[in-house]
Amino acid sequence: MLISYNWLRELTDTGLTPTELREQLTMVGLAIDAVEEIEGDSVLDVEVPSNRPDCLSHTGIAREVAVIEKSKVQSPKSEVVKTQGKAADLAEVEILDSDLCPRYAARVVRGVKIGPSPAWLAKRLGEIGQRPINNVADITNYVLHEIGQPLHAFDLAKLAERRIVVRRAQAGEKLKTLDGVERVLDTEMLVIADAEQPTALAGIMGGLDSEISESTTDVLIESAYFNPDSVRRTARKLGMDTEASRRFERGADCENVLNAQARCVELICQIAGGVATEDAIDVYPVPSPALRVDFRPARVETLTSVRVDESEMFRILTALGFTRIDGNGGVLSFVVPSWRVDVSVEEDLVEEIARHIGYDKIASELPPSSMSGEYQPTETSRRALRNALKDLGFDEAINFSFIDAAHDGLFQLVPRLTGDSTQDGLVTLNNPILEGAIRMRPTLLPGLLESVRHNLNHGTRDVSLYEIGRVFAESEPDNDSSQLPNERAALALIALGGATEAGHAQAKRELDFYDLKGALEAAIDAMNLGPLTFTKAEVKHLREGQAAQIALPDGTAIGTIGRLSESIASSYKFRQPVYLAELDLTTLLDSQVREIRYKPLPRYPAVVRDVTLLVGRDVAFAELVAAADSERVADYAGAKLVGTYEGENIPEGKRSVTLRIEYRSHEGTLRDEAVEERHRALVNSLVQQFDAEIH
Amino acid sequence: MAENQSGDMDRKNPNDAVEAARKAFEQEFERFAAFAGDGSPLTGLNLDQAEAEHRALAELRTKHLGKKSALAASKKAIGRVSADDRAAFGQLVQRTEAAIGESLEQAEETLRTAIQVARTERERIDVTIPGRRPRRGHLHPITIVRQRIEDIFFGLGYAIEDGREIETDFYNFEALNIPETHPARGVQDTFYTTEGFALRSQTSTVQIHAMQRRGAPLRMIAPGRVFRRDTPDPTHNPMFFQVEGLCVDRGISMAHLKGTVAEFLRRMFGPATTTRFRPSYFPFTEPSAEFDFSCFKCGGAGCRICKNSGWIELGGSGMVHPNVLRAAGVDPEVYSGFAFGLGIDRMCALMYGLDDIRLLFENDVRFLEQFD
Ligand SMILES: [Zn+2]
Repeated sequence: MLISYNWLRELTDTGLTPTELREQLTMVGLAIDAVEEIEGDSVLDVEVPSNRPDCLSHTGIAREVAVIEKSKVQSPKSEVVKTQGKAADLAEVEILDSDLCPRYAARVVRGVKIGPSPAWLAKRLGEIGQRPINNVADITNYVLHEIGQPLHAFDLAKLAERRIVVRRAQAGEKLKTLDGVERVLDTEMLVIADAEQPTALAGIMGGLDSEISESTTDVLIESAYFNPDSVRRTARKLGMDTEASRRFERGADCENVLNAQARCVELICQIAGGVATEDAIDVYPVPSPALRVDFRPARVETLTSVRVDESEMFRILTALGFTRIDGNGGVLSFVVPSWRVDVSVEEDLVEEIARHIGYDKIASELPPSSMSGEYQPTETSRRALRNALKDLGFDEAINFSFIDAAHDGLFQLVPRLTGDSTQDGLVTLNNPILEGAIRMRPTLLPGLLESVRHNLNHGTRDVSLYEIGRVFAESEPDNDSSQLPNERAALALIALGGATEAGHAQAKRELDFYDLKGALEAAIDAMNLGPLTFTKAEVKHLREGQAAQIALPDGTAIGTIGRLSESIASSYKFRQPVYLAELDLTTLLDSQVREIRYKPLPRYPAVVRDVTLLVGRDVAFAELVAAADSERVADYAGAKLVGTYEGENIPEGKRSVTLRIEYRSHEGTLRDEAVEERHRALVNSLVQQFDAEIH
Repeated sequence: MAENQSGDMDRKNPNDAVEAARKAFEQEFERFAAFAGDGSPLTGLNLDQAEAEHRALAELRTKHLGKKSALAASKKAIGRVSADDRAAFGQLVQRTEAAIGESLEQAEETLRTAIQVARTERERIDVTIPGRRPRRGHLHPITIVRQRIEDIFFGLGYAIEDGREIETDFYNFEALNIPETHPARGVQDTFYTTEGFALRSQTSTVQIHAMQRRGAPLRMIAPGRVFRRDTPDPTHNPMFFQVEGLCVDRGISMAHLKGTVAEFLRRMFGPATTTRFRPSYFPFTEPSAEFDFSCFKCGGAGCRICKNSGWIELGGSGMVHPNVLRAAGVDPEVYSGFAFGLGIDRMCALMYGLDDIRLLFENDVRFLEQFD
């Protein structure tokens, strides 16, 4: 809000320069964003907190300045107004919905001459960013900025039967507001109507039909108090934000209605001529009671640590308009001034005192130490995971939590998130802000695919990204409907392009499935979890034959890994293979940490034997190892992969797998014949089980 | 051949045989003799040639000093030399042996040095070529800043907490003393699901849960993802990260709030950082304060980052409103507490000089590579 320095000085004869004011007002909670010099005046841009509508005027700011300077606010000087007749003889006011309008006052000025405002008035309004219209409209605006009370001037002649009816609109009723827009109203909206139709949107904007024009001679000045919530709801619904609505929706001063109106009438008579009525029609059936707040001065020191003299506390509160009441038994309380809609509890009074004492007077010290720090239980693992992935060349991505509904049903979700990925199982936003992004993501993959597309579009072809974040789905249907959605942490990885080396221009080779799998395994290792098992699987978003399900050692499925399916890849126009994995991180982090236990070092050397088996292409390496492990051949110490081969000399549908089997005894060095015998038994068994040939 | 030589030995004077052996050596050694000098003939010899010469020398040694050499045969014949001449003969053999050995040694030494030099030259490498390692990845700047904040508060005795991102109205607003009519609760500002739940608009939700679960006294921070319905622009995103802190105990005052925030900012931005508190308004604190810290770029003199004010606005704070304490089951007559909150994204923007925070969620590798 803009404040004119000269105007402020008329209200409180401040000795502070604009620069000093900027500093001092900031330190009492009214931050000044900027000070601008305009033709012999300075204009201060004040950032008024949303709970301080009383500061949305020059008088409001002057009140704070007066407390700072221990001075007084001088209300504007009044000339005696020429008055004649009773308002009730010229107009009529009726409030039908007093819940939305507790008070409405109308006063009439007859015989005004509408014209441009005098130069001083136009200049003053111009300085604070207000466009001059005509003298009467400008005066209502002037008083608004001077005192804070929004006012409205009607052309009395245009009010049917010279009646004001404050009521809710009827459904579908229309009103063309001053900005020329025809508004369609509903029964939640409060209007000022005449005997026939709405003529103003209560507390927001007047109607075009009853607007002051050059031919206007008699004006009715409205000064009222409207319910803040009602004004806010109507303004939001109609997409309107006006000087009036901004004040009413935060809370105007119900007791300032007549005062502001008198000031307005006074100025109209001075500037536009005319004769005012002696009084106003003031409909205020149930005056709102003043609020009393109990106050224990000791609370100031308790909450702020600053020791303040009680006399200084009372000076500040009194200067701010609070009235002290000494109750029985030394109970002290303060009556809250009608304009301070933000004060209702003792702590509010403490803040009033603290901010005028100055927050800089409050000491700065650490609380006595009494507790030890505590990371989240999974934080160590998460850091190990992130650091491992960093070392493995993955950049950490963060995507928005909301995604487009176009992704519905395309991805297999992490286990335990939801049974189905159709629309019904997903969490949907009622009021999204990004076009189309209405779903709370049930998978991190669409975000990473989008990130990959972004990078490819910007010429980066080697991309390895991961993301850690929440995924969402509706909770199980057997729970009642008020159940909050299911939230789980997920980890997703994506990789494509070359296996790049730091500092080198060209990748030595292209990444493949095993790079991503290896990275994942290494990351899990770094957390001392797993080892994970990988089983070939059919996965909706992955290419057949290059997809696996990932499980924990106890068999719990926790995710998938593989190459992106052709159909999704082509929808993104990805020409190169894209590998991705997604895991249920919540379950993973809850899983059993690998126990570290010392095993005695072997005392005798091991003997190794290689065997190359020609097997069907569908025989998995892991199956061969599992079979070898389960054979329980004496002195068997494990099998490792040497390599696989298919192509030349290998029949179609087959491949050769070379295993290195290790034998070791704890009793002594194994003799060749003994190893031979054991190895033959193992190999024969594998040959039989897998219909293999020794190659 | 050995037989031949010993045959000769029978007939000839053993001294002549030694002399013959010496002559035979010198003849064959002639082409190596230069090596025994200053080594200048080596110039122009490449590594392979030098190694070949070295092998040839080794053969020469075997031939003339080995077990089957003429000299060795002469030594065996000492028995047949008369007792008077035996000492002289022995000396002759030794002298000859030593002379041959020395010649060979000198030549070998020269060659060895030459080979060493040539090999060193051949195996010289370019030490400026990048080391062999996979490209390193990077933590997201938000993670870097979040971890630093967590480490600082861990050190100050705080527990790190997190909670749900989709919350009930109670935890997101009501318990935080945000009235039903507050604009923040409107569909303009807060995301709602079709089931009527809110995407948390601040992590204060976690504070309520933590107070309910842990009770007082309590010290905690809650870093996390929050959502507000802002259209993306250089300074706004509809999703961002913030950290909120809470300290509840007997006798907690605003002095502790100031001390804690100031200490945090000193550890974050350096020991010279000063902090300023200004009155402000938040529904969940009373009294409320915003805090600014002295510009880390210009130290308070005024620059572009601090818009020439010398101060950088960072966050909100205050004494926990009694209604909030009550909502979480803590008696405000016994306990008091302070709370503060600040944006992690904003800290990132400040620390790294980001001029457009939309970059934080685009995941452009060229952007991510610049951190950590
Ligand atoms: Zn600066």
